[in-house]
Formats: sequence, C-alpha cells, structure tokens
Amino acid sequence: MSARYRAANPREGNLSTMVGIVWRTHRRGILVWVIALAASMIGTAAAVAGLYDTPAKIHTYAEAVTSGSALAAINGHVEGIDSLGGVIQDEFGFLASFLLPLLGIALIAGSTRGEEESGRLETILGGRIARHQPALAALAVATAAILVTSVFFAAGLALSGVPVSGSILYSAALGTLALAFAGFAALLAQLVLHARGVYTWSLIVLAVAYVLRGVGDTTTSWLTWISPLAWVEKTAPFGSQRWWVLAVPAVAGLASGGAAVWLAARRDLGSALLRGGTGPARATRLRRRPIGFAVWTHRPATAGWLAGGILLTGMMGSLARQFLDATAGNPAMAEAMGIEGGRPLDGFVAATQLYLAVIGAGYVIQAIGTLRAEEAEGRLETRLTGTLSRVRWLAAHGTVVAAGLVLIVVGSSLVLALSTAWSVGNTNEFGAIMNAGLAYLPAELVLAGLALALFGLWPRNFGFTWAGYAAATFIAFLGPGLKLTRWVLDLAPTTHVGNPPQGTVDAGNLTALAIIATALVLVGFIAFHRRDVPRA
Amino acid sequence: MSHPAHVIHIQELTKTFGKVRALDGLDLTVQPGEVHGFLGPNGAGKSTTIRILLGLIRATGGHVELFGADPWRQAAGLHKRLAYVAGDVALWPGLTGGQCLDVIGATHGGVDEKRREHLIERFDLDPTKRIRDYSKGNRQKVALVAALAAQVDLLVLDEPTSGLDPLMEQAFQQCVRERREDGVTVLLSSHILGEVEALADRVSIIRRGRTVTTGSLADLRRHTRTSVHAVTVEEPDGLARAEGVADWVCERLDGQVDTRFTIDADHLDAAIGRLHAARIHTLTVTPPSLDALFLRSYGEALDAHQAGETVAEVVR
Repeated sequence: MSARYRAANPREGNLSTMVGIVWRTHRRGILVWVIALAASMIGTAAAVAGLYDTPAKIHTYAEAVTSGSALAAINGHVEGIDSLGGVIQDEFGFLASFLLPLLGIALIAGSTRGEEESGRLETILGGRIARHQPALAALAVATAAILVTSVFFAAGLALSGVPVSGSILYSAALGTLALAFAGFAALLAQLVLHARGVYTWSLIVLAVAYVLRGVGDTTTSWLTWISPLAWVEKTAPFGSQRWWVLAVPAVAGLASGGAAVWLAARRDLGSALLRGGTGPARATRLRRRPIGFAVWTHRPATAGWLAGGILLTGMMGSLARQFLDATAGNPAMAEAMGIEGGRPLDGFVAATQLYLAVIGAGYVIQAIGTLRAEEAEGRLETRLTGTLSRVRWLAAHGTVVAAGLVLIVVGSSLVLALSTAWSVGNTNEFGAIMNAGLAYLPAELVLAGLALALFGLWPRNFGFTWAGYAAATFIAFLGPGLKLTRWVLDLAPTTHVGNPPQGTVDAGNLTALAIIATALVLVGFIAFHRRDVPRA
Repeated sequence: MSHPAHVIHIQELTKTFGKVRALDGLDLTVQPGEVHGFLGPNGAGKSTTIRILLGLIRATGGHVELFGADPWRQAAGLHKRLAYVAGDVALWPGLTGGQCLDVIGATHGGVDEKRREHLIERFDLDPTKRIRDYSKGNRQKVALVAALAAQVDLLVLDEPTSGLDPLMEQAFQQCVRERREDGVTVLLSSHILGEVEALADRVSIIRRGRTVTTGSLADLRRHTRTSVHAVTVEEPDGLARAEGVADWVCERLDGQVDTRFTIDADHLDAAIGRLHAARIHTLTVTPPSLDALFLRSYGEALDAHQAGETVAEVVR
C-alpha cells in the first residue's frame, strides 16, 4: 500500500511509453518513408544489375563517369566505380544525398518541435513523462526507422549480386548519414520555435553540404571532409572499404542528439533560442488584398525552391567548360549521363533542365499543400467568412503559385544561361537554355493540376500528390538510364516534353500537357467550389 | 431588395457527415435587433449550424435563409453584412495581432477605425506582438476585436469567450450590449448559461441536432416554477393547499414561521397575497434560472428519447 505513495524520483519517467506515443502518432509517415526509400534503392539496384550484367559494360560505364568532373559534382566521387556496387552508388548518388538527410529531418521535426508547437507536448509532459524523454524517444524511433531502412538497403543490394560486405558498408554509411541529420534536426528543434524552422535551417545546411561536396569532389580538396554527404563516399564501400569513417557521422549524430536531449531537460517548454520579435501594428494595403496575402503566404516556399534552383543551375553552368573538355575525349561519358548523340553541350543543358523541372514541380506541390494546411488548421474558415469568395481565394493563390513557378524556372534558367556563357565563353546557348526551361512549364503545371484536383476532391489525401511526385521524379531521373518500359516512362509528365534542347520539343505534346493541366485545375476549382470547408 | 422579417430563418435543417447525423430537423429564427442565445451541450450541432449559415458547408436538407437569401449560393455577398468569431480561433502565427485585424477587416463590409482603436485598448491587446506569441485568450481577443469593429448588421459568435478571463468577459458583454444598442443582431452560441442570461433576449436550446425549446427568457420562465422563501409572523392561511403550490416546507423558528415552496407563475400573485395577510418579515422570490430551464429542457428531451428507445425495443 505504501508503495503507491513512494516518493517520485524527478528524473524517473516512462521512456517506453513515450516511444510508444511517438510511434503511434507518426507511424504512417515513418512507414511511407521507409517503404519508399527501400523501394527506390531496391529498384535502382535491381535495374542496374539487369542493365550492367557483364564486367565489360560496367567498365564502359566507369570509364565514362570518371572522365569528367560534372558528374562527380552531381552524383559524388565514387571509389571502386568499376564494379556493380560502384555503378549503383553512382546512379543512386544524387537521390541519396537528398532523401537520406530528409529522412532524418522529417522523422525528427514532426515528433519534436511540431508536437511542442501544437501544444500536444504540454499535455504529454503533464503526465508521467520527463522533459527530456520526448526528444529521446523521437531519436530512438528515428534511429530504429533508419536501421530498418539500412537493413532493407543491404538486403536489396546483396540480392542484386553486390558483395555482402560492400552492401553492408554502403547501407551503413547511408544510414549514419540519415542519423547525423536526425541528430542535427533534434538539436535545431530545441533552438527554433517552429517545425518549419527546423526544416528551413536543416535544408540550408543540406544545400551547403551538397555544394561543399560538389566543389570538394571536383577539385579534390579537403573541403569534402566538412560535408556530411561526403562521409558516405569516404567509406569507399566498393573500393578500399574504410569502415572507421562510419564513426564520423555516427559521432556527429550522437553528439548533436545528445546535446538535444541535454537541452530538452534544461530549457523551458515552448522556449526557443531563436525567435522573432515584435512586428508592425498594421498590415500594408497590399497584404490586405487576396493577391498580396497569397504572396506573403507563398514567399518562403518560393524563396527556398528558387535558391535550390539557382544553386543547381549556377553550379552546373560553371562546370560546362570542364564537361565539354571531358566529353571531347570520351563520348561514352555523355551516354552515361543519358545523353546520346547530338551536341554534348545541349545534352548537358537538357540534363540540368530536367533537374530544374523536378525542382519546379516540387515547388508547386508544396505551395498547394500550404492551402490544405490552411484548411486543416482552421485558417481557411477565418478567411472565407468574410466577403472573399472561395473562387477568388483559390484564384489568387493559384495565380501567385503559377507566378512563383515562372519566377523559379525563368530565374534559374537565366542563371544557367549566364553561368554557361561565362564558362564556355560565348552566349550561343542562351536562347536554347531559356526555351528549354519554358518548355517544361506545362509538365510542371500538370503536377500542379493534380495537386489542385486532390485539394478540391479529396483534401485529406493530399499526401498522394507527393507520392505521385516521388514516382514521377524517380522515372524522370532514373527511368531512361534503367531502360524502363515505354508506358512506365510515359507516366512521368516530363517524358513528353522531349528533353530540350537536345531533343526536339513536340508542340502537340506541350499542348496536350497544357490541356491536361487546365482540365485538372478546373476539376480542382469546381470541386472546391462545391465542397464543405473544412471537409469532414 | 425586400426587407425580410427574419435575419436568420432555419427550418427542418439536416446535415449528415457520412453515417453521422449531425443535424436532425433543427429550427432557428433570429429577429432583427435581438441577441439570440444559441444553447446546447458539446456536440449538439451548434457549430455545424453556424457553418451552414456561413455557407462553409452545405445543408443536406431543410430550409436556410440568411437576410432572406441562401447562404450557400450567396456566401461572399451576404458576408458583407456579418462578422464571425469562431470558438476555436485560427490565425496566422507569423502575422502580428494588428496585421491579423487588418487582414480579417479587409474581408468585412467595413471597419470602424475609431472603434478598432478603442477595442484594442479596452481588451488590452498589443497589436505588434506576433500571433504565435499570444496566449489562447489573446488570440480570442483578436478575433473579437475584428468582429466588434466591423460595420455589420449581424454578429455570429460561436462560444466567443472561451479562454477569456472574467474581467475580459465583462468587457465583452458590455461591447455586445453597445452593438445591440446600435441595432446589430447577435447570434450568440454558448454553453455558458450566465453569459447568455446576461445578454440574450431570446434563446433556442438544441440537443442532438434538434431544437428542444425556443422563446424569450420571460416566456421560458413562465413555464417553469418560481421558488419562494418567506418568513412571516403568522402561519400563512390555506397556502399549503392553494392551487399551483408545491414543494411545501413550513416550520416554526424563533417564534416566526419559515416557509419555502415553489409556484407556477400564474398563481404567484394570489400566493403573495396570502403571505401578505400573514405579515411578511422577509421575502425572497427567485425566478427560475437559465440553468433550471436548460436542465429541464434536457431532462424532458432525455426522457422522450429514452421512451422512444423503449418503444422501439418493444416494437422490435
């Protein structure tokens, strides 16, 4: 009987309960991440193994890739590329350098600062949970999810015929990369006030890491070692196998995660080191208008994706000269980039424009996703209970998102055109580069239309838009290289653009894409006009 | 345009969400210039009714009229004449309080700038602070100031004082009275009976998506019993068996007669006459509180519902 009243140890809480809560509230997102990542890795491995089935073919690929620095800038420097594992590491390199850090960031941001911001954490901490345990539990669940992902990776690689030790080391390197970013995100979650801030800052760090790795790999300097993304390639899983390098991301992840838990135990709930101050007492005339308000709403996403686009195109354009020099002596390299025949520079621009198209499509989906968030959080009701009609509200946002897309595509294409001109010493490609960027607009708008249609018809299932985006991106990047069947390739809107400026753009195809996009947008508008807000 | 007799006129309103029947034949009529209390327990369908009234969601069946028009078809036009405060106020965390007021104000028919300044002062609001740094009560105040500063004919307030402290609650009540004196109609949804009792001219009580009772507070009180507590010098003659008297308790204390009973409103006059004859020392007459009305309405509805279930079982 007295046991029931024993003095409570203030440090005592229930970690397993907290782990259960984190898992229960975020398991859907976690499962989607793990399955999507495992599928893309296993798919890549199986397709590469099918395609490069003789040592001679692998050797040709390796020859091509190692002869220029442009590919190293994108995919990273792969040691031991003259092997099946090396080819897979190279093919998966670009996606891996974004998806794995994002896995770590996404697993942490929502279950730490996201919960705190919403006030749910306060409810939980009112119970038998100690202050540091939510952060610890989030890290534990993230670590487990990353571990499972890595096991899938290793199994998929081994089953495709990659040596087991290399498979394990490569998967472990990717896993510890995700872990390092998870720890970093957990630390950020203690410092900033909003989950959005966690995403913003960790994505900035990711972008910087990518540039450092790219510059380091093309100039083979010590810069590489600062970038967490380079720690993966420094393990050389298919080369000399430096297992000890795994300790670098592992220690980084554990140290920042430990610091996060330490801070969580000591700071006030709801506090943050970095927080905004006061602001103006009146809204400007522009912001009171629906268009101005929409501009304010979408400004952060537009700025972020524009920065990503400029970073990519600026880097690629600056490397144009080096790329030309490399391909001059080795036509096989162009082939490795998915560029066959024609003028090499056109192929280089075409590949870059495809990356930019994926950036543009990502922007429109995120921006339209913001509208769903406005609805889910009740602010859309606040907005629509005045004289602003639904159609005008949606039209204002649609216009601003479309303008943002044009800004991102034209701005980034301009940077590509200028940096290419600077690199090769002439402006011959200027028009072709700009036109190629514009040619992708209808394809990007198809994804915008898909997002709008889902927002109108089934707003609760908006997540499917991201699944569609992931599939389209996978097909666009890896489909041609993996020689997927025609109808699968045709599923991605970008396939129908015709790979400008290397390929010829079929005006009929662009018109068809534009018609599909328009139809989807109309469906979205009509459905939104007729449905309940909020949709129960 | 014609001048409709009712600001809000709802008949036989139904709304289903999948298999859930949120509204099941609800009636509500609000006349110009009145403060209408809209009462019901959590989940009774108050917010659903208001969302239909605002054209946010579409009625499954029944008739809804706002200012004589269909709120689903003419939502944005009708919103020129009303301002709304949600029970669960959702604002933009990145904007300051003042910016939110302006953004919301821009979608109102018009804003009285002088009243805006006055209300900010009265509700003790810092318009330069960001919404994310406001407490729940302060966010509620932003929404209230936005609605009360709007130049409108109708205020739709859905549990507007959740999160306000008693001092601010008083300020709110004063502001609503002032708006009513300006001729503004108010639909006040609440489950805080004291607030409705202090403000409302008429009330509608709903339960499980149906209107249980409606009328002026005076009307509703007429149908319930008034409590009387009297101390008299002599024993009141024949009162115990008089018409309309119940719950009779009478005892002698310190040479005086202490009497408690309840009586229906129609026989109050006669009863007081008999007390007067017995020479009143002290007299307390308590009209039925809204709580009593509320509980009585629910009790009846509950009984009816249970009876219905029993019948259904018998039939089965």
